[in-house]
Amino acid sequence: MAAEPKGHWRGLRNAAVLLLIWEVVGRLDLVAGGALPGFSEIVIRLYEDWGDYPRHIWATVYASTLGFLIGNAFGIGAGVIFAMSPTMLRLFRGVNIAVFALPPIAIAPILVLTLSGMAPRIALAALGVYFVTMTATVIGLSQADTRATDVIRAYGGSRWDALRLVRFRGALPSILAGLRVAAPNAVLGAILAEFGGGGRWGLGAYLLGSLGRGEPDRLWGIGLVATLIAGLSYAGFALLASRTLGATRAVTLNTAVPETDTGNRSLAVRIALTLGTIALPFIMWWGFIKLTGVPDLISKTPWGVVQYLFLGPTAESAQSRLLAALAETLPITFVGMAAGLLFAFLLAISSRLFPRAIEAFLPVALVTQTMPLVALTPLLVLILGRGTSLTLWVTISVTFFPAFVTLAQGLALVPRSAEDVPRAYGASRWTEMRMVTLPASLPYLFAATRLTVPRALLGVMIAEWLATGKGLGNLLNQSRGFLDYGMIWTVAAVSVLLSVIFYQLVVIVEKRVLRRLGMATAE
Amino acid sequence: MRLTLDRRRFLGTAAASAAAATLPFRTRAATPFTMQAAWINDAEFAGYFIAIDEGYYGAEGLDMTYLSGGPDVIPESTIIAGRADLALTTPDTTIKAIVDQGAPFKIIGAQYQKNPIGIVSLASNPINEPKDLIGKTLAVPPVNVISVNAMLALNGIDPADVNIVPYAYDPTPLIQGEIDASLDFTTNVPYTISQQGVEATSFLLYDFGFTIYNDTVVVTEETLATKRAELVSWLRASRKGWDENFKDPNLWPPKWKDTWFAGTGRTIENEIFFNNAQQPLMESPAGFMAMTEEGIEANLRALSEVGINGTREMFDTTLLEEI
Repeated sequence: MAAEPKGHWRGLRNAAVLLLIWEVVGRLDLVAGGALPGFSEIVIRLYEDWGDYPRHIWATVYASTLGFLIGNAFGIGAGVIFAMSPTMLRLFRGVNIAVFALPPIAIAPILVLTLSGMAPRIALAALGVYFVTMTATVIGLSQADTRATDVIRAYGGSRWDALRLVRFRGALPSILAGLRVAAPNAVLGAILAEFGGGGRWGLGAYLLGSLGRGEPDRLWGIGLVATLIAGLSYAGFALLASRTLGATRAVTLNTAVPETDTGNRSLAVRIALTLGTIALPFIMWWGFIKLTGVPDLISKTPWGVVQYLFLGPTAESAQSRLLAALAETLPITFVGMAAGLLFAFLLAISSRLFPRAIEAFLPVALVTQTMPLVALTPLLVLILGRGTSLTLWVTISVTFFPAFVTLAQGLALVPRSAEDVPRAYGASRWTEMRMVTLPASLPYLFAATRLTVPRALLGVMIAEWLATGKGLGNLLNQSRGFLDYGMIWTVAAVSVLLSVIFYQLVVIVEKRVLRRLGMATAE
Repeated sequence: MRLTLDRRRFLGTAAASAAAATLPFRTRAATPFTMQAAWINDAEFAGYFIAIDEGYYGAEGLDMTYLSGGPDVIPESTIIAGRADLALTTPDTTIKAIVDQGAPFKIIGAQYQKNPIGIVSLASNPINEPKDLIGKTLAVPPVNVISVNAMLALNGIDPADVNIVPYAYDPTPLIQGEIDASLDFTTNVPYTISQQGVEATSFLLYDFGFTIYNDTVVVTEETLATKRAELVSWLRASRKGWDENFKDPNLWPPKWKDTWFAGTGRTIENEIFFNNAQQPLMESPAGFMAMTEEGIEANLRALSEVGINGTREMFDTTLLEEI
């Protein structure tokens, strides 16, 4: 984004215009019979309620900070190991994709079942952090200046010396950029677990207690505070990065699970690695259950889920319920993927064609990323009803943002000289876009797709849980009423598995297409 | 923020040392005991708050830990996992788990003699009985669909004739008329709705054949065998708490403004309404927390109508008798 003062003023002005529209629309109760309050109403309510906030904020900050630290310790530790050992990176690929793709709302009930106290909040926050930091670390470490490492090696330094003296320093900008993106994830994870987990303090708990009042200004106030915390944590690391490094990096990160070249290994080794990659997530799942020591009745190992689905006395009914739910969820998930991607794509193109309009839209887009959807549901339901359009919009809102940022970055990186050709021949901006910019940014389109596709399932499940009462999202919640632990674990496992499959399919298509076009994967 | 925390800590320390000063006069050391509530802190659990604050549990030799509930918390899970000795549950869920999965539960008491769950609608578009639901949209929390289907079946209504959508804990869609009715605690939501300047009406599922308790006191068979004395103590102290609470239902909620009800997001007026509204649903000639033979039979009958075939053995009334 532009750093010149002119851009800043324009941004401020656009934000002011936006707030004014919000205020008028809210004050006049124009949207959904007043379910959208005016901005000043929210701020006034926030001021009135302020006495309640400090302890809730403290609890949320505490859990997300701990989760952030733990997630990063694992992320950086794993990143270092992966950068040093391609075999380990290959072996943990399945785990890494699973962590990246898992839908938090399916995991939260599992964590609350198996862990107690603050642990589910910390775990969910840590899960949101791990992947981003791990990827940033691996990329940072592998981009080290080879001339500098050669010097170390020439003087007889070990691999560890090279890591310590050169590669780690070189990786710092990348790691800091990772921490910046990871920080808001930790906050959102903690809030989600607070909402369901039954503690007294935390913004999520406050949100739950406040929902029953039917007072949107309170809910929006909580949402804005959550947004502020997430935003501040992002800004804090952005500041740290610019202070310590004197340079800022792109707002996005590589969305690819780092790859290794296994080409020159023997077939047997490759097969063993592949099997290990697939088995490892299940081994870790099994280990987690054994470590927590929660009885079999409520916590299911992978084998427990297989038994429940195929061998147990209720297997048939479980299968038919699961299949019925999938039949409802999957079609809309595919439509949702396409819609989220299309929305991000249109937004990215518009940001080139009408930069000012998009600049004004961005703050709104950011709020939709941190505003707890459960607080927005009544508003969405009143505007959109409980049908397909609601599901699609929830899915779009969950998916589009990271994809948009990636695409916008891709469009911006197209070489000027290439764009100058159609311009010189008098082509319109649209023709220029179609003939040069879009094909050139194809790798970024794939990178965005990788981001969007696993999250689409999350969006659909949220809509099902909160509004439509169908499919996997509803099955998960109904199962709690039936103490159907087998089904709770099955839904969690199936949703993670599906997200991993979607991700992997994109990767396969991406490789084929880019190889044919002679392009490299976007990082 | 730091100031209040410090003051709290100071008060806490002061209270702890005051408690420690009384210790030598006690004859026995307190046994740690944990209860898992069914929801976040509200008037639903007033009796337990009194029994904790007034030292009724302490006098019985119980060192109480109280765990609040929430949407992802399945109270039964907490006792299976051994994180609590006792849980407050919905009996339909508990009994179905015993029947279907052989879960090792026993019901040893019941807080609500009549389940407070009911159908809430607006007086301007009233739903007065189950038949009125036909062709209407009803919002139900996914975990309670089992209860609604039971009530509909008991009244000869095909669940397919009612448009059931998820209830996401917010009454706004009901107030705005997007849905016609919602399933919730009738002790609670009508007040919230009245605060929005709209009048609500409601009926209990209990009054239309779904004659079950709620907040049933559930323990595992193992706890029942090993901690019987503590469970009886808990029942005795809890009954005392509820006795005290209903001497004046308006008295206690304001006292908890800065303790039990601090930061819940709900209002004290709402809790006072709740506390008054729940009194008739909890009273029993046999005392608070009681389970009578007729009551148990009514539970089993209602559940068997919907295919959940519980038995009398799932209820253990002998602990209540020892109070």
